[in-house]
Amino acid sequence: MEVRSRDYAARARATLRDEPGVREAVIGATVAFDRHREQAYGEVDADAWRAWASDVKGHALTNLADYLEEAERRLTENGVVVHWAETAADVHSVLEGVAAAHGVRRVVKGKSMLSEELGVNAALQGQGIEVVETDLGEYVIQLFGEPPSHILGPAIHRSLHDIQQLFHRVHGTPLDATPEDLAAAARSALREAFLTAEMGITGGNFLVAETGTLALIENEGNIRLATSVPKVHVALVGIEKVVARWSDLAGMVQLTSRAATGQAVGTFVSMIHGPRRDGEPDGPEAVHVILVDNGRTGMLADESTWEALKCVRCGACLNVCPVYRQTGGHAYGWVYSGPIGAVLAPGLLGLDEGGTLPFASSLCGACTEVCPVRIPLHEMLLTWRRRAVEAGMAPTTERVLMSAYAAAAKRPALFRIGAAGLRLLPSAVRRRLPFLGSWLSVHGALPWSRPSFMRRRKDGPT
Amino acid sequence: MRATLFVTCLGDQFFADACADSAELLRSLGVDVDVAMGQTCCGQPAYNAGYWREAMRMARHTVEALADAEYVVVPSGSCAAMLRGGYAELFAPEGGTAVAELAGRTFELAEFIVRVLGVEDVGSGLEGHAVAYHHGCHALRELGSREEPLTLLGNAGAELVEWEAAEECCGFGGLFSAKLPEVSAAMADRKLDTLPGPDIVTSADPGCLLHLSGRAAQRGNGPVFRHVASVLWEAANGSP
Amino acid sequence: MRDGILTRIRSALAGRQAVAHPGVFVGSPPSGPAIEAFADRFRAAGGEVERFSNMDEAGDWLDGFEHAFEGVAAGADVPTELATHLPSRPAREAPLGVSMARYAAADTGSLVLDSHGGQLPQLLPPTHLVWVRADAVVATLGEAIEAARGDLPSALALHSGPSKSADIGRVIVTGVHGPGRVVVGIVG
Repeated sequence: MEVRSRDYAARARATLRDEPGVREAVIGATVAFDRHREQAYGEVDADAWRAWASDVKGHALTNLADYLEEAERRLTENGVVVHWAETAADVHSVLEGVAAAHGVRRVVKGKSMLSEELGVNAALQGQGIEVVETDLGEYVIQLFGEPPSHILGPAIHRSLHDIQQLFHRVHGTPLDATPEDLAAAARSALREAFLTAEMGITGGNFLVAETGTLALIENEGNIRLATSVPKVHVALVGIEKVVARWSDLAGMVQLTSRAATGQAVGTFVSMIHGPRRDGEPDGPEAVHVILVDNGRTGMLADESTWEALKCVRCGACLNVCPVYRQTGGHAYGWVYSGPIGAVLAPGLLGLDEGGTLPFASSLCGACTEVCPVRIPLHEMLLTWRRRAVEAGMAPTTERVLMSAYAAAAKRPALFRIGAAGLRLLPSAVRRRLPFLGSWLSVHGALPWSRPSFMRRRKDGPT
Repeated sequence: MRATLFVTCLGDQFFADACADSAELLRSLGVDVDVAMGQTCCGQPAYNAGYWREAMRMARHTVEALADAEYVVVPSGSCAAMLRGGYAELFAPEGGTAVAELAGRTFELAEFIVRVLGVEDVGSGLEGHAVAYHHGCHALRELGSREEPLTLLGNAGAELVEWEAAEECCGFGGLFSAKLPEVSAAMADRKLDTLPGPDIVTSADPGCLLHLSGRAAQRGNGPVFRHVASVLWEAANGSP
Repeated sequence: MRDGILTRIRSALAGRQAVAHPGVFVGSPPSGPAIEAFADRFRAAGGEVERFSNMDEAGDWLDGFEHAFEGVAAGADVPTELATHLPSRPAREAPLGVSMARYAAADTGSLVLDSHGGQLPQLLPPTHLVWVRADAVVATLGEAIEAARGDLPSALALHSGPSKSADIGRVIVTGVHGPGRVVVGIVG
């Protein structure tokens, strides 16, 4: 997809100013998600589970080449066709080839953030192939013509009212239709799509090297359908999704579910080992897995941020993030938003393209506290900030002021004269100063202590 | 026992009373208190904004200014966390004994009173007062100090009100609030919108208090915002 | 392409300390008997659970249950004693799907279904009746998955309640794509 993360500040401002309903909807959804997560963590020894899961992912990533080769061997033995793709363009060309070979005219998709990252829908549509998103939230935003705003709940920025109006236009449902009515309308349109599509495209939550298992977690059943009804199933799998052992799955799916929605496990988990076998009454004729790099090997080489590849895309860090909550994901201008998006952006897109997002954080650390695989997210944000500044990406005014501030701080007398000088400025002038001016634009007047504490000390004991 | 007060740049300029109250409170608990006159800013604004070279300069200055302290007590969870954890990051991998030593004897005020002095009761002047406590992120998550201020306030008789967003970031974040003022203000608004109507909102962090009270003033409503040092000192003296 | 990616990975990892595998996951096994714990979890997720001490009892119950349906799509591996007398319909038209679970896991309230008998009866009909033998109800998902290791069909699936979504207005709606009603009959 198109990346517009450099405009974060402007987009965030515009969302807050022009679409106040987004903030309300996003806060409602994320607070509820986070409450469920908190309760679900509380039911188990969450710290031990998280430490275990972090090591499962760490083990797979630090032996990644071996496990990818093993996964490829097992998948192939299972009858799965394995493809490797370095870039989005490589993925597009594999998909076009598979679609052409099977005469595909319609595709049903399960929710896949990787497919959003790769711009798969536009590429297929460019080939004249109809693409239908089947996750209810994805379906809603596809009809709105929007990208997802959240890893797990792609349409959480949209209120019931918005969706009532959309479905009235598209499906002719009444303007006061209930969520049940709306879901029923979507179900019947999408059921038709499942039964007529030649290809299902999904992502993958985990790829087990030992058994060649592709595991997918969901709640609606659309992924179960997309992987069993059409004659071809293609899974897009980031290379970081590999885990070593079959026995890793039970823990990984449980923890991911608890972190994501607070469920003991998602309603449906598919564990796929290839196309329909002899004697099986249904299932796809062909299964393809595309192993996707798209910047991941570069991140793996980064000593300070490679652990972000442990991410299981549960969305817990978005839900708890007070910055994300104010705007939702669209402000970030990229498929991944919130703390993990801000860590992945410079990692996968490069500092030039993605270096703005690490500044979209107050570094409160709430993300790190909830991450099921214990990625030190706020520390990585800080690392990217330092790199952005060292790369000369900071605005000149900021650089000059910071340098002056640091110089003054080494000279206590000068530091205090500076503060005293600020006090003396007329407020109209203060409001035009860089940083202080924008701070004052949303706050009341500064409540200076008169005199300052150090001044009092100097004038007499306190 | 001797404690050196590191009042922080924001405390100095905007919470002078709270700095003085910190000193009085500690003295009333039998601590000799001094103030290092060479202190300025710990460097956290630069550190968090990615300016590590500048932050290192300020950190070195602060380490020197506090070199003689037996304990360093900070009426700010955020700056205490900078001295304790941030400096270690800044000077990693070589570290340095001065940095490690400073980290070992630096405490946020409430943390110092409860953990080091072993005092959980400073007075009872908060009887009948509904108090909301804002947990600064760094006190909460970096220092791991959640209970200490609540213990002191509760034992002083305060009715601690349930606040849905008590542990959520207020949106200050140093330079963050100046670079993304609208987002930062929206974060403060969520805190203010969920406040259950206490008499006093208190916190250990000048930055958070400045931000929250400034935002409340801009919106034209809100309760009284006080630094926890002042609330506790007044509790020790009978009433807030 | 493949070799390029693998080479980049190996060079990225050169000198990186490998993380040891942490071993088999220790979950939170239920404190009580597995069948009761499974039933509690499954009901909490919106499913229904019936308990029968033998096939005959299950058959009697089925006689009453099937009256509400005019046709069935049944998995090929459902034993004759547990088959309905309803006319067979293609899964896309059938009001009822019936299948046989390999295992059930108590700690997550999950049924382990496989593709041997067909997946569509598990997914397309609005109501899904799943049989499971009492001795196949185990304490943890880890045990169920480990037990399945010996025979991994083209698709193994966990079903842990009715299909649901909260994507519209944060209201939980059931039966979005998969079955909105799931009834488990535990036999034995």
